[in-house]
Amino acid sequence: MTSRAATCQSWLADITLLFKASVKTVKTRNKALGLLDCSSREEACGVKRARVRDSFSGRAREVISNISKLKEFLLQHRKEYVNAGSVMCSDVSRMTDSERDQIDQDAQIFMRTCADAIGQLRSEMGKQVVSAQVKDHRAAVLDLIEVYLRGVCKLYSEQRAVRVKRVVDKKRLSRLEPEQISHNKQQSDGEENSDKPVSDSNMDLWEDNRVDDDLSPEEIQMFEQENQRLVGEMNSLLDEVRQIEGKVVEISRLQEIFSEKVLQQETEIDNIHQLVVGATENVKEGNEDIREAIKNNAGFRVWILFFLVMCSFSLLFLDWYDG
Amino acid sequence: MAASVREKQTAALKRMLNFNAPPLKNTTAEPVWKVLIYDRFGQDIISPLLSVKELRDIGITLHLLLHSDRDPIPDVPAIYFVMPTEENIDRICQDLRNQLYESYYLNFISAISRSKLEDIASAALAANAVNLVTKVFDQYLNFITLEDDMFILCNQNKEHISYHAINKPDIMDTDMDGIMDTIVDSLFCFFVTLGAVPIIRCPRGNAAEMVAVKLDKKLRENLRDARNSLFTGDTVGTGQFSFQRPLFVLADRNLDLATPLHHTWTYQALIHDVLDFHLNRVSVEESQGSEASPAGARPKKKNKKSYDLTAADKFWQKHKGSPFPEVAEAVQEELDTYRAQEDEVKRLKSIMGLEGEDDGAISMLSDNTAKLTSAVSSLPELLEKKRLIDLHTNVATAVLDHIKSRKLDVYFEYEEKLMSKSTLDKSLLDIISDPDAGTAEDKMRLFLIYYITSQQPPSEADLEQYKKALVDAGCDLSPLNYIKQWKAFTKMAATPANYGSSGVKPMGLFSRVMNTGSQFVMEGVKNLVLKQHNLPVTRILDNLMEIKSNPETDDYRYFDPKMLRGSESSIPRSKNPFQEAIVFVVGGGNYIEYQNLVDYTKARQGKRVLYGCSELFNAAQFMKQLSQLGQK
Repeated sequence: MTSRAATCQSWLADITLLFKASVKTVKTRNKALGLLDCSSREEACGVKRARVRDSFSGRAREVISNISKLKEFLLQHRKEYVNAGSVMCSDVSRMTDSERDQIDQDAQIFMRTCADAIGQLRSEMGKQVVSAQVKDHRAAVLDLIEVYLRGVCKLYSEQRAVRVKRVVDKKRLSRLEPEQISHNKQQSDGEENSDKPVSDSNMDLWEDNRVDDDLSPEEIQMFEQENQRLVGEMNSLLDEVRQIEGKVVEISRLQEIFSEKVLQQETEIDNIHQLVVGATENVKEGNEDIREAIKNNAGFRVWILFFLVMCSFSLLFLDWYDG
Repeated sequence: MAASVREKQTAALKRMLNFNAPPLKNTTAEPVWKVLIYDRFGQDIISPLLSVKELRDIGITLHLLLHSDRDPIPDVPAIYFVMPTEENIDRICQDLRNQLYESYYLNFISAISRSKLEDIASAALAANAVNLVTKVFDQYLNFITLEDDMFILCNQNKEHISYHAINKPDIMDTDMDGIMDTIVDSLFCFFVTLGAVPIIRCPRGNAAEMVAVKLDKKLRENLRDARNSLFTGDTVGTGQFSFQRPLFVLADRNLDLATPLHHTWTYQALIHDVLDFHLNRVSVEESQGSEASPAGARPKKKNKKSYDLTAADKFWQKHKGSPFPEVAEAVQEELDTYRAQEDEVKRLKSIMGLEGEDDGAISMLSDNTAKLTSAVSSLPELLEKKRLIDLHTNVATAVLDHIKSRKLDVYFEYEEKLMSKSTLDKSLLDIISDPDAGTAEDKMRLFLIYYITSQQPPSEADLEQYKKALVDAGCDLSPLNYIKQWKAFTKMAATPANYGSSGVKPMGLFSRVMNTGSQFVMEGVKNLVLKQHNLPVTRILDNLMEIKSNPETDDYRYFDPKMLRGSESSIPRSKNPFQEAIVFVVGGGNYIEYQNLVDYTKARQGKRVLYGCSELFNAAQFMKQLSQLGQK
């Protein structure tokens, strides 16, 4: 309700129409006073208006429209993508895994091209010579586009994470089933085994003939058990692989964050390195200067000593000469 | 009104920056870039509400001053947010002629007159840019909101409407009219943004009454003009239970001159008093260290750092009204919690180090990735928290230095006693002649408060003694002349002295012992506990809101812009107590009154009080104005 009141208010404070009305009054006033007719000038300016649009903003807008297309594409297929096949849903809108992988790949290629386009724009902008304000403006525009791209990438990675998680959950659920099935099988084996002696006894004569060609019931049982064990092992391996895949996706996300931070720190470390190099230079120079000073000091002292000794010798000499 | 004034103004600004369309809630919408151009008024309005990062998020790539050199940036819409003055209009016309931007969205802070609109129209015609001027709006945002419930009128030309300007003896009628118009314009914008038509009460016979009359007239005109009224649709649509209209109390600074001079003890008011603080930005001088500089070294440079105290800073919001010792303890607590969290994150690092050797445990890995993710996501929060703790530590240390050097706690205690008429344990002369308690300004403040709150003026001999002591301490005596005049003029001699019952209890040895453990060693600074007391402004508000009968407020005038006939009677129509009130002090206000009102509101459930003033000054600035007045 407050927003409605606020929009009422902003509409009432809109004096654009008032402005247009005053434009008309000024026009009529000018015409009445016989000032220069602007209509001829309008055409000339109209031609000027159709000047070449700034290539930078045109290309920036292209990149944005591409990213928007990607976003729509992802959102469109999101429902089907994420719906990782609950048994209940109809098979009509089901996506196969290959289709999902295809979507993943396409999305990644697209995102990479968009990121490249942004990088290209940035390097070109660095080469062009324009005023400082335009430079700032362009840098800010590119930042905005990057943030937008990052938002869309987040959509994609969320989608993917949800998909992987659902698959893992499904596998976990279905892992219970083989156990149950094997459980059932064992039970049914038990039943079969109980049935078997009955049928065996019936078909004893008949089976005895076949005992050399076919495997004996114990061997059948053993092979069946081994079968089940192998199936169980494979399932658990598959399970673990899926889990690892999920974890790897998470780790890659973390890796992204870390690499971002490390890159940020890189510039700072460079600065510090430069400062340290400068500081060592200064310290070296300082050491040199101190050495010079010490030498000068020492030299100075020698000269003073020499002078004093010479003076005293000359005094002695004069004294002896006089005397 | 469920949304506070600050939220409303922020929402209005964001709408304006979104080309005057309501902003979408879609988080990943396509970025649209624009350039924001403001003048100094616009800058003051925007800077407490939106940070540069928020502007970037909205899509503003550049924000520039109107009167700076601006280069043409093609293909970009430009949003202007300026006052409709002559120079601004000229500059806009110049921009149109130079074709700096692709399209122009002009937003005027207060209403623009028809003639100026025609000036822009003719410039646009001459430059053939009429269809480039896409929208023109009157934003009615000519006030600055500092807190959720506090606003001031303007920061740029505040000498124009300062206490000095209103009260100087040689003021001309035209000047006074100009000042009143400015104030009424801003108040009108404030009520338009708030979306409510108030009931106005004001005392008789001073500047506040003139403001009330003019404001009433303006609101009435606007409501009559049904076509263009700015208040339609909101009697229904402003919040849940706003059947009642708010109460608007106009007070004049002359009612209470002691409060702006008072030394204070709460965090926000202290920062305003002692450091350089305006528009929610505080500048602190940082000294490089406390070691003695070796002989021959260059003198240490103090660099000034400025911090923004914003609404997002939870510690600030919680503690800005707390007494200073509480703040010190709270900072210590925050620091401890932060260190604990930091240690946890570090522990995680060591766990990860161990896990690197044992690579067969997938299950443990899953736990750790989850922990790592949570740690990484909480890292920005931790860093932000650290920054805030550092900020508050620096600010609080600076304040504490001032307190210790000027012995502000002594002053505070003494003044509280003066204002509440309790017995004084030290004579005034002792404090004034004490050479290391406070600056000359502090002593002057103390003396003025004593003079204002004493029932009878002190005898001539005493006065001479005090004056001599003050001059010895280096004070300037001109404010005293003005206060003498003021006291002579004001007929309400009894009421200013009544500052309510208050008491100041210095907490004893026990608390001092507790405090020595904390980082802020407050030895010698008494831990004073504030008891609840009401300043005159709060008392007046209480009487008017609760419709109590009191000789002070009974002859206040009553204005209701919605009534068909403006009546001169001062009999209020409704007998119900008001739920919302807006207090506005003409001539200047400060954080002490604001804090007092906030405390009053907290004690009563369901009431909302907004505080506004024509300008915000601290005691030093007020003293300067008083001395200017006293010299005339």
